[in-house]
Amino acid sequence: MNAHPSEWEETPRLLPRVERDLPADRHQLHKERLMTRIHEELAASPGPHATAATRPAARHNPFLRRMVLVPLTAGVLAGALATGLFVFGGTEDTGTGGGPGTSAAGPVLTTRLGTADPEGAARLLDTVSLAAAEAPATPVGDGQYVYIESKTSAISVRHVHGTTSLASSPLHRRQTWQSRDGKDGWLIEPGTTGPEGMTLAGTDEHGDEPEPTLNAPSYDYLTALPTDPDVLLAKIYEETKGTGNGPDQEAFTTIGDLLIESYPPAELTAALYKAAAKIPGVVAVDDAVDAAGRHGVAVARLEEATGERTEWIFDRKTHVFLGERTVQAARDPHGVVPRGTVVSTSAVLTRSVVDGVKQLPGAAG
Amino acid sequence: MTTDVRTRVRDGDPAAFAELFDAYARAVYNHAFRLTADWSVAEDVMSATFLEAWRLRDRVDPEGGSLRPWLLGIATNIARNHCRGNRRYRAAVAAGAQAGTAALEVPDHAELVAGRVDDRRRLAAVLAALARLRRPEREVLTLCLWEGLEYTEAAEALGIPVGTVRSRLSRARTRLRKLADAETEPEGRRRQTEGDRTNAVRPAQEGIR
Repeated sequence: MNAHPSEWEETPRLLPRVERDLPADRHQLHKERLMTRIHEELAASPGPHATAATRPAARHNPFLRRMVLVPLTAGVLAGALATGLFVFGGTEDTGTGGGPGTSAAGPVLTTRLGTADPEGAARLLDTVSLAAAEAPATPVGDGQYVYIESKTSAISVRHVHGTTSLASSPLHRRQTWQSRDGKDGWLIEPGTTGPEGMTLAGTDEHGDEPEPTLNAPSYDYLTALPTDPDVLLAKIYEETKGTGNGPDQEAFTTIGDLLIESYPPAELTAALYKAAAKIPGVVAVDDAVDAAGRHGVAVARLEEATGERTEWIFDRKTHVFLGERTVQAARDPHGVVPRGTVVSTSAVLTRSVVDGVKQLPGAAG
Repeated sequence: MTTDVRTRVRDGDPAAFAELFDAYARAVYNHAFRLTADWSVAEDVMSATFLEAWRLRDRVDPEGGSLRPWLLGIATNIARNHCRGNRRYRAAVAAGAQAGTAALEVPDHAELVAGRVDDRRRLAAVLAALARLRRPEREVLTLCLWEGLEYTEAAEALGIPVGTVRSRLSRARTRLRKLADAETEPEGRRRQTEGDRTNAVRPAQEGIR
């Protein structure tokens, strides 16, 4: 009755297991990332080996944030890998081409880099903060959903037989729905989900609901956040301590994530901009273009460790948030991504309140 | 020896994590694939697993055997957060099947399993079987069958009682039996021809358990 599965008569045809190695360069890449993180954390902590007591709590699940909630980083990267590799592999290795449902990888976009002005950030953020405070925002009612539609694309780095190349995922639409409490949701994104999309609802193994956090907020969670910029910024630093490439960059990234795919009340949006103005290294950029081709001015920060600059793009006249992009603004320390490459880009097209998942604004019901 | 590794991991010794990565990255990667049916997602899960292991290092018991079950447990949790619904898993399996079983391989690494029809067929059979299971059953079966964990190790890795492991495996077995009955497939006879190929498929054995 209690025989181990390897002894069941149902399993021999599933054994022995078929396994695969990561190519040596990918193994090495991930190992280096791990070791870099470890050495950074150790360098930042008081002792040679930080003890458990002094180590800050990191975010609950970095993977969840990147994979599901943040289209700009690894989520799209993974999507690009999933589609891009099929296509490339088809032509290079097997000659069979992409099967149905695979989308082609596009050319890598490059851009003209806007001029950064360290002095201008405070004034620009003050302006967009005022505009945000005055923008009308419909509160999300009981049983209603936040619907966000964006357009997005990102590059991926490919390693094939020792050579490295870049590919870009096609610019595509991403649609998300999230209930007020964050417990129910839906995602439709080519390359990540099928045309029907996938649910974002569900409990974890222990039957617990995932708790909303700064990096995975629900509307209810956002409405409970402090709107005093100093208190808010302190909370952001506290909750993201020990994660990402340094505290300032991580605070900036966290705010950017909230701007791109959540539905903060107007007072909170205004407070987020005021908080961002207090982060060291934030600059104004005179010109940037979002994934929908809309030009604007930007608030940006250069991540020293990667040479990437993340830009929040605002309409030049209305100061409404348009989208976000990350560009290779300085030298890539790995020597892979040329300066001026658009690493990822997005544009918020719709941000609205609807009555159910898969419902579109303006639809009856 | 393993106690020593546990102590070094708890102490945050970078060299211990480098060794863990070299020893178990492959196992975690393949485990994550079985749970997500997607090689590129599996790579992300693998990478996130070791970062999470670093973050959780103080939870390691100083006494005990290999840390492999612990890492597989972390990977299971991370994969779960990605693959929240069975629908998603089935979609990934279906996408692979639709594009032909060759698509189950990331072509970049094609030298490893390329052209081995039996391997591809078996991998497809594994995914088809796993897609019929509920997620908790899939997780437990994956740990015990392909990763070779004992019930107690699987229970520890997932943070659930041993009795729960048993009942999930029992349900998994019932479902697999129904699946096999429904297929009455003649391919089972092919097994004899696979024995001599197995070693060629695995260029490197993973670290010591």
